[in-house]
Amino acid sequence: MGREVVVTGFGVHTAHGRGAPAVRDGVFAGKAAFAPVTRFDTSPYRGSVAATVPGDPELLEVLAGCVEDALTMAGRADGGDMPFLLGCLGDFGAITRFWRDGPSADTVNGTPAVVADTIADRFSLRGKRLTYTNACVASAAAIIHGWQLVSSGRADTVVCAGVYLLEEATFGQFDSGLAISLDSTLRPFSADRRGMLLGDGAAVVVIESADVARRRGSTPLARITGWGLASDAYHIAKPHPDGKGLALAVEQALRMSGTGPEGIGYVNAHGTGTRLNDSAETNGLRAVFGASADAIPVSSTKSTTGHLMAASGAVEFVISLLALMDNVLPPTAGYTTPDPACDLDYVTEGPRAADLRRVLTLNAAFGGMNTAILLESP
Amino acid sequence: MTTRQSLSLTVVAVATRTEPDGHPDIPRLPGFVESTFNPLLFDVAQRCLTAAPGDPSRTAVVLGGLMGDSTTFDLTSQRMVAGQVHNPLLFMQATSNSVLGYLSREFGITGPMSCLSVSGGLAGELLLAADLVLDTAEVDRVLLLGVELAANERTGHAYRLLADSGGQVGPPVADVAVALLVERGAGPVEITSIGAAEDLGGAPAPGGYGSVQGLVHLALGCTGSGAPGTTTLVHDPTAPAEQAVVELTHRDAALDKGPEA
Repeated sequence: MGREVVVTGFGVHTAHGRGAPAVRDGVFAGKAAFAPVTRFDTSPYRGSVAATVPGDPELLEVLAGCVEDALTMAGRADGGDMPFLLGCLGDFGAITRFWRDGPSADTVNGTPAVVADTIADRFSLRGKRLTYTNACVASAAAIIHGWQLVSSGRADTVVCAGVYLLEEATFGQFDSGLAISLDSTLRPFSADRRGMLLGDGAAVVVIESADVARRRGSTPLARITGWGLASDAYHIAKPHPDGKGLALAVEQALRMSGTGPEGIGYVNAHGTGTRLNDSAETNGLRAVFGASADAIPVSSTKSTTGHLMAASGAVEFVISLLALMDNVLPPTAGYTTPDPACDLDYVTEGPRAADLRRVLTLNAAFGGMNTAILLESP
Repeated sequence: MTTRQSLSLTVVAVATRTEPDGHPDIPRLPGFVESTFNPLLFDVAQRCLTAAPGDPSRTAVVLGGLMGDSTTFDLTSQRMVAGQVHNPLLFMQATSNSVLGYLSREFGITGPMSCLSVSGGLAGELLLAADLVLDTAEVDRVLLLGVELAANERTGHAYRLLADSGGQVGPPVADVAVALLVERGAGPVEITSIGAAEDLGGAPAPGGYGSVQGLVHLALGCTGSGAPGTTTLVHDPTAPAEQAVVELTHRDAALDKGPEA
């Protein structure tokens, strides 16, 4: 039995803006932030829409803002021996600039580890620095690793993060893979879903030992009581149609927390709006919860933020945390038509009041990697 | 070693691909193109998992390196800058998750899989990650993988910038891959601690393997001729001082070197 792990601070930035109020006004109101991309020329591509913050901000600066917010909220703005665990595939924009404009000092930022090192140095975070690069589960994996460090006593406090800003290389890749929705809307779980849309996002969470937080006089925002990490063993890019790995991850998280199906008040789904993901995710939840799944609200907040790639896990962790703190379920936007393959309660009518005790946030990625993290009220 | 973190890991298989002249004989991997990153990774992983079969539902995988699959990243970027259409095959292998997904399918691995980028001391970080993963009830063994590709124009510039700012990791002389399969319990070679370098005797081992230097040295140490009961100190020159040395204890005969080690 390890130490209790709590959340004591967070920072978040999406196309809706920076900070919790922007998430409440955008994500929880069900407002989709998609608009024509102006950051680069989309004329060579099929798609043209994403959820981006204004202009062409620096990835490091957006992430730094979230770190500052999270450390301030946690009362740890002075830094210290805290590890910094980041989900990030590097700044692809820096790679593009190298090949387009030539070498510069910025070229090094295409290296994922450099992003974590730079930010950790800036905020005097002197613990270990690790950058998770496993795509859409990267920052969820960073949070899970942070939990393990704290629970096992190897660290008292860990700063976990994720960041992705839209750039042309990734946009073009997903466009070439026919994964981008062409109707300017991301419609998770809806029968007429046509694919995903990308978005800008960054989030940072400070997690620490409950005892340490108590001694510091810090008020926990939530406890992390379970998590799961599992693989599909199925395909390099497609999810297992039965949601096999996702179900394994959820079962692991429930087992770890000692929670039964009836204990889950909300699931923040990965919900990419692709035909294969959404039915697989539904099947995975059905496999775990059985008939009880009918009573568990599930929503995809990517319908408002877009798919945040390596930042998905951290941003959706924060959204789930806010749901728990506010007792409000964020809706699935863009939903129009029921799909027999997606037969859960997807919170399609708009934000919904709820009495929440435990929420689950899920992510999945290429290669069949799946994560589940269970948050509980403190 | 004056300061150390105790570990309790047993190495049950190792495999390396360290040929300085490249890997002309590396088998192609269906669905993966252009880059040697994926076939190299699969080769060393497959050899470890075949040498020491176990329960794939209780096997975890942790992949580490610094630059990742730079060949795929740079090819994608170069094609885009040149105004060429994106290659959907490159999209499919755009992250290292994809080749791990292929590996997991081939071997039925349903345990956790992770990919890490670390700017120094990869060997120590992967061993510490394995130690954490093995604390969970669902995992019995962890396949540690390190892959780094030789520098190209872009990563070569990045390496120079890193060196200018005090970084300890340089580019490997050639594409290199290494795998170690570790678990708990007694075995022929045990990893007992990670610590500082003050007591390291003799000259550091030769370099040339970039970020995976320490992992390669570790693999060579495991397959070396240490007599039962003796210890070997493996130096990772890329690591921070407090994690620069991994201590191996030889309990039994050395591990089989395998065809490429």
